[in-house]
Amino acid sequence: MNKKKTYPTYYSYAALALFIIFFFLPGIMGIFYSFTNWNSLSSDVNFVGFKNYEKIFSGRYDFIRYIWNTLKFTGLTMLTKTVFGIIFAILLTHKLVMCRNLQRMAIFIPQVMSFLIVGLVFKSLLNPVTGFLNNFLKTIGLDFLAKNWLSDAHLALNTVITVDTWKGVGYLMIIIIAGINAISSTYYEAAQIDGANFLQKTWYITLPLLKPVILNVTILNLTYGLRVFDIIYALTNGGPGHVTEVINTSVYSEFSKGNYAMGTTLSGILFIFVMMISYVILRALEPKEEL
Amino acid sequence: MRKVIGLLLVTLMVLSALAGCSKDSKDDSKATQTDTQNTTTDNNKKENVTLTFGTHQSGLPTSGIIQELAKAYEAESGVKIDFQIVPDAQWRDLLKVKLDSGEAYDMMNVDADPLSLVGRINPEKNCVDLTDQEWVSRMDPIVLDGISVNDKVYGIQFNGVRRSVFFYNKDIFSKLKLEIPTTYDEFKQVCQTIKDSGVTPIYEATQNGWHQVLPVCETGSYYITKYDDLYDKLNKNEMNIKDVKEIGTILNEMKEFADLGYFGDNFMNQSVEGAKEAFAKGEAAMFNNDTGWAVETETEYPEMKGKIGIFVAPWADNQTVSCNPTCNAYFINKNSKYIEEAKGFFAFLARPENLEKLLNGATNLVSLCWKDTSTKENPEYVDYFKSLPAGMVMQVGVSYIDPQWMDIGKDIDAMYSGTMTPEEVLDNISLRRDELAELASDPAWK
Repeated sequence: MNKKKTYPTYYSYAALALFIIFFFLPGIMGIFYSFTNWNSLSSDVNFVGFKNYEKIFSGRYDFIRYIWNTLKFTGLTMLTKTVFGIIFAILLTHKLVMCRNLQRMAIFIPQVMSFLIVGLVFKSLLNPVTGFLNNFLKTIGLDFLAKNWLSDAHLALNTVITVDTWKGVGYLMIIIIAGINAISSTYYEAAQIDGANFLQKTWYITLPLLKPVILNVTILNLTYGLRVFDIIYALTNGGPGHVTEVINTSVYSEFSKGNYAMGTTLSGILFIFVMMISYVILRALEPKEEL
Repeated sequence: MRKVIGLLLVTLMVLSALAGCSKDSKDDSKATQTDTQNTTTDNNKKENVTLTFGTHQSGLPTSGIIQELAKAYEAESGVKIDFQIVPDAQWRDLLKVKLDSGEAYDMMNVDADPLSLVGRINPEKNCVDLTDQEWVSRMDPIVLDGISVNDKVYGIQFNGVRRSVFFYNKDIFSKLKLEIPTTYDEFKQVCQTIKDSGVTPIYEATQNGWHQVLPVCETGSYYITKYDDLYDKLNKNEMNIKDVKEIGTILNEMKEFADLGYFGDNFMNQSVEGAKEAFAKGEAAMFNNDTGWAVETETEYPEMKGKIGIFVAPWADNQTVSCNPTCNAYFINKNSKYIEEAKGFFAFLARPENLEKLLNGATNLVSLCWKDTSTKENPEYVDYFKSLPAGMVMQVGVSYIDPQWMDIGKDIDAMYSGTMTPEEVLDNISLRRDELAELASDPAWK
């Protein structure tokens, strides 16, 4: 090891200090406030123990449904974005596909669009009477497929997941393309000599060697999905009714009602979920060391 | 070499950040100099002053009269008004968050009523006391409660007393030989007849988040005829909101209407702004709103003049007129850098000639809550209102109802989409009242 080229630990102290002051400490303070009745209607802040947590898990309120919606949103978007991201990445690194760069750009562009713009555009596109989608389906004789995409309680969350996948898959595709480009061509040449076809090369070479990249995109998907707010707020504002409410829309609602303690309690629960699920996934996808 | 380049880049970044800071202070001092110069000029115009005005979509008249008056104020004083308009469904939450984070607008358009004002914007903490303003004495005393806290006036209101009704298309009713309904059963029959003719009976709009709550709360004028001292008992927690059986009845009736298709197929995607067009084109026969809506519709669609009739909504057989003396009002942020300029704008709006301009220019206004101003109230409507008893709406008389208005709206959405029952909606209203009372440490809930 060349000691001259190794950065000393104290180089990280400034960044660590900023992280602790602006992220870690507020998180800890939030957890502390979740055991109080901190609100905007009264200047007193009193310790109330686990009352806020009891309210959330008692079932008397809808918070359990919001937690379930968050987990469902996270799971499904993780699955769809990863699968489609891999498919697009593999196809758009294959030399037989024409205009690869143009297609990559077309798939990536939604990622740079504002959530608000995407929400407004899709609200218009998905309007059951005047929207482009239903009118198109009716024009080609598929009337039975025309639905109330955002106002049907059974469909709304799945519609939001679909829109979010459309918006976010490009970002993951780019990361996976970088991972595919880093795979040495000697593996494919050897496989070619052995007579492997495209699917076999993908299954036995590309995917195993992409495992570290898939781990990274899974973590990115997970942290995004559990903290989702923008796309829900822009598309449905938690509606119709409360069927698309998630933890963060509920946090926003509690803060705006002035019930800060409940807002921080929900945030604290989200924090625990993120930590637990991240740990499980990291351990599950870690390569096992050979003894 | 790389270290030198890296060091240069870091230095550039730090300098650009610091340059950004110094640019603001230079602008401030320049503005101060300009202000100083301007105060010495004859016309006393203030340049480089822009007041932000936060409001929700339906908080300003669609005719743009307030914006026109703001332009006139700018021409006179040099002070610009920047209107920042937010969708209805997001406004209350957003305003609360902005006030709590110290980033609120210079002026705010707030739904003001005596019971919810403190919880909504806490005027004593966040707003400027306007009691000493000349125009306060010219306002109708009936509205002062809604914009005051502890006898201090914090806001300025323009709308007079509002009455909520169902508007009906006289041509459609005449063609189908229909009479205005006075009971729920008659209402149902009228809707069925209209539906059979191929027209949507009622234009309902849930996208704004507040319209679907009107039947529940505006029928308060009827509830008070069924229970002695109802509002007082509810506020003292001597009665629970669930004990008002008529509310449950109305929720069930609304659900039935939705299931029978009387609101049409697309009401969950419709907004209030679309009602005028649907009504004028004969696509919908009835619409629930306050009387100013008829004036707006007749202005936009002159062919509808004289063709809009009214009746009180016969939910649970109601035959009372609901009156609401409160409305949205404008407030000045205590932390604004331009309080005097904002006061100047309010004083400008309150000038008698500008009040008349406002009344004539705001198509949704039929009267003002100001002394010595004219009225646009339809004489036919006035006679109709005189024939029925009147009472105050529930959201003005009962505590912890208005703050949960948008939550009730979401629950009603859930009821329409089948994920909640009417009983659960009522349970939630009661639950949220208890929660809000507990947060406010209301002694009646201890």
